[in-house]
Amino acid sequence: MTARKVGVFICHCGGNISDVVDVKDVREFAAKLDDVALATDFRFACSNEGQERLQQEIRERGLDGVVVACCTPKMYEDMFRAKAGEAGMNPYLLEIANIREQCSYAHRHEPDKATAKAKLLVKAQVEKVRKLRPLEVRTAPIQPGVAVIGGGIAGIHGSLLLANLGHKVTLIEKSPTIGGNMARTVKTFPTDDCAMCTLSPKMNEVYNHPNVTLLTYAEVVDAKRSPGKFTLTVEKKPRYVTDACIGCNRCTERCPVSTAKSPIQVESEWEMGLSKRKAVYLPFPQALPPLWTIDADHCFYFQKKGSCRVCQTICPAKAIDFTQKPERVEVAVGAVLVATGWKEYDPTPLAHYAYGRHPNVVTQLQFARMLDSMGPTSGVVAKPSDGKPADTIVMVQCVGSRGPPGDPVVHEYCSRVCCMVAVKHAQLLKKARPEAEVYILYNDLRAFGKGFEEYYAKSMEIGVKYVRGLPGRVRADGETLLVDVQDMNSGRRLALPADVVVLSAAMEPMPVDNLLAALHLDKSPDGFVKEYHAKINPTETAVKGVFVAGCAQGPKDITDTIAQAGSAAMSAAVFLGSGQMTLNPLVAEVDPALCRACDRCTEVCEFDAVRVDPQSLVAVIDETACEGCGKCTVVCPTAAISVRQFTKPQIVAAIDALAPLAVAP
Amino acid sequence: MTFEPQILAFCCNWCGYSAADQAGAAKMEYPSGVKIVRLLCTGMMDPYYVLRAFERGFDGVLVVGCHVGSCHYKSGNVQAREQVERVEQIVRALGLDGRVTMTAASAAEGNVFAEAARSFSEKLRKLGPNPIREVVAR
Repeated sequence: MTARKVGVFICHCGGNISDVVDVKDVREFAAKLDDVALATDFRFACSNEGQERLQQEIRERGLDGVVVACCTPKMYEDMFRAKAGEAGMNPYLLEIANIREQCSYAHRHEPDKATAKAKLLVKAQVEKVRKLRPLEVRTAPIQPGVAVIGGGIAGIHGSLLLANLGHKVTLIEKSPTIGGNMARTVKTFPTDDCAMCTLSPKMNEVYNHPNVTLLTYAEVVDAKRSPGKFTLTVEKKPRYVTDACIGCNRCTERCPVSTAKSPIQVESEWEMGLSKRKAVYLPFPQALPPLWTIDADHCFYFQKKGSCRVCQTICPAKAIDFTQKPERVEVAVGAVLVATGWKEYDPTPLAHYAYGRHPNVVTQLQFARMLDSMGPTSGVVAKPSDGKPADTIVMVQCVGSRGPPGDPVVHEYCSRVCCMVAVKHAQLLKKARPEAEVYILYNDLRAFGKGFEEYYAKSMEIGVKYVRGLPGRVRADGETLLVDVQDMNSGRRLALPADVVVLSAAMEPMPVDNLLAALHLDKSPDGFVKEYHAKINPTETAVKGVFVAGCAQGPKDITDTIAQAGSAAMSAAVFLGSGQMTLNPLVAEVDPALCRACDRCTEVCEFDAVRVDPQSLVAVIDETACEGCGKCTVVCPTAAISVRQFTKPQIVAAIDALAPLAVAP
Repeated sequence: MTFEPQILAFCCNWCGYSAADQAGAAKMEYPSGVKIVRLLCTGMMDPYYVLRAFERGFDGVLVVGCHVGSCHYKSGNVQAREQVERVEQIVRALGLDGRVTMTAASAAEGNVFAEAARSFSEKLRKLGPNPIREVVAR
């Protein structure tokens, strides 16, 4: 191997280092090390002057290796590498010896020892640099376009922002319409805005946006990743209704499904099972696209071998087409925004609440449908058992949320929105029917958002009653229900009569495991999509180019969903706008001559970044997926895999340099 | 001359190394016999490095990664733990029992790093110098 020319630059850090470490001693020691062509020191390596000198020495002496002995590499390693690169040296031939945090700071009362250690740290990095080789920084162009998965408010808002920035958006929604859960929520707290009145214009905007391609009744069934590009396979379910549909509703009117005598009955998903729907239907009047859909699983034509063609016969636009088949399309994009949202927890396993056993026990989302003037009860809160108006309502908080760790049926997390949903629904009812009695049984009431506390106070003003305590039991007592609860403030045991009991059921992540697996995304312990960093990077994920918005990431109200979706869209736009992605060179590489295709690397890799090529029988690294953790390098039996800049010879060189015993000849 | 245990500390880039930085920045002192080698992840900690360290005279090897569940690379720290347990058996057979240890410290836990360094150093002081030193020196 030809001799290297390594420069050692020792920083005083304005005294932070030099007050403890004898910089002159370190410099003289470094100058004598093998391959060191220059050892010098300066007051501030990070100053403009320091950087210029570094560059000047690299140029003039033709250095092909640099050790900067200064503060932690977390501070200026990137900057020094960039400067070295500008001066014509490969940036990856530069290493930092951390003589501030690890010497002058940590051993400040032992200057001799700090100095001795600083010498060793410099020596270790010089030895490592001698083993380094130049790395090529490669880039891959980013495929234009973004896929947004999920057409609720998060996906709609994210799509609109990206589309308005000029990105081509493919919005993929698995149900027949966009709108998501927000469409069901009647009004939104704390302003009591009509949910549909605020949502519908956004639905229309995204539906009509020239930059948005909408794929509804469609699911992502597979995803493939290559540098800068995701190829999603989307399966479009057949609607059996063509674009010729004019929205006249005659098919729905005449469809025999769910009629009194029909053997096929279908509960309306939109009305949370509080009413029936036909097999051919529009989920709700503002649904977009405004296309009817035939639910083949509940249609006589499909279930009884073509026995019924009423809709086809009656359709004036000849829009019914029973021959449609599922269709697969490929969508190639540079970024993916996951906005798969949430579903309401099913409280059936909590038997003491009688949900599923008594028709007058409902969830908040069902109650929202009752409060909606367009809903199944035309906005009248009535007992589902007999349709008579309900005068006393008891709401129960934390149903399925805030359980003990490891509980098999109750989530440990707080769902964050249920307090305000209950306050909202109680107020809406009280405003409509002041004579109604509404109790909210709670454990802790969380009114933390802007305007929430005032909203909560207002509810008490208009007579909503709060009882601190969660019920032990909900039981039937003739026509009514009785809710047994101990008021924790007074200690009294109460048996509150209720016409309807409303359970504030938890928010749960949509079950989208296949999608997450296809995109290589992880879940947090709570089951929601794991973000890159919960605090400072909540919209990116560990997969470059995949972003997460709304309740897919965790329970959120609509305000927070909009804010977070906006942030996620911005992150996606910045990523897409850069046009190309830099591939981190500090990842694994395979020596094909040593690889014997044993597959151990593929077994330990958690990023699906390595596979054995069946033709060449050699492990191949996907450099966009590899994170450089090096697990594979440990399990490889032939040392065929190494992580660049952290190869075994490089690490061993550092170990030997630091060791008490000299290397045997 | 008093015996100053020489410790080789393998720190992952994200937690262990940052914890050591944090210890330094907060002026928490720990024995200068602790020498840190930065790895991207403790998952790349090869048992061979531990054996090499003992052959070269280190009195102990300390591995510092992220807490379980917080690994920047999902579970590199879990593999590191397995490897440490594996190599512990080997070093025990070599008469170096108790000279390898692994601990977890988040990037903010400078105190955890400093305390681990101090207590491990204290333990090694009691164990005495790595006996291999003498063998190799001979």
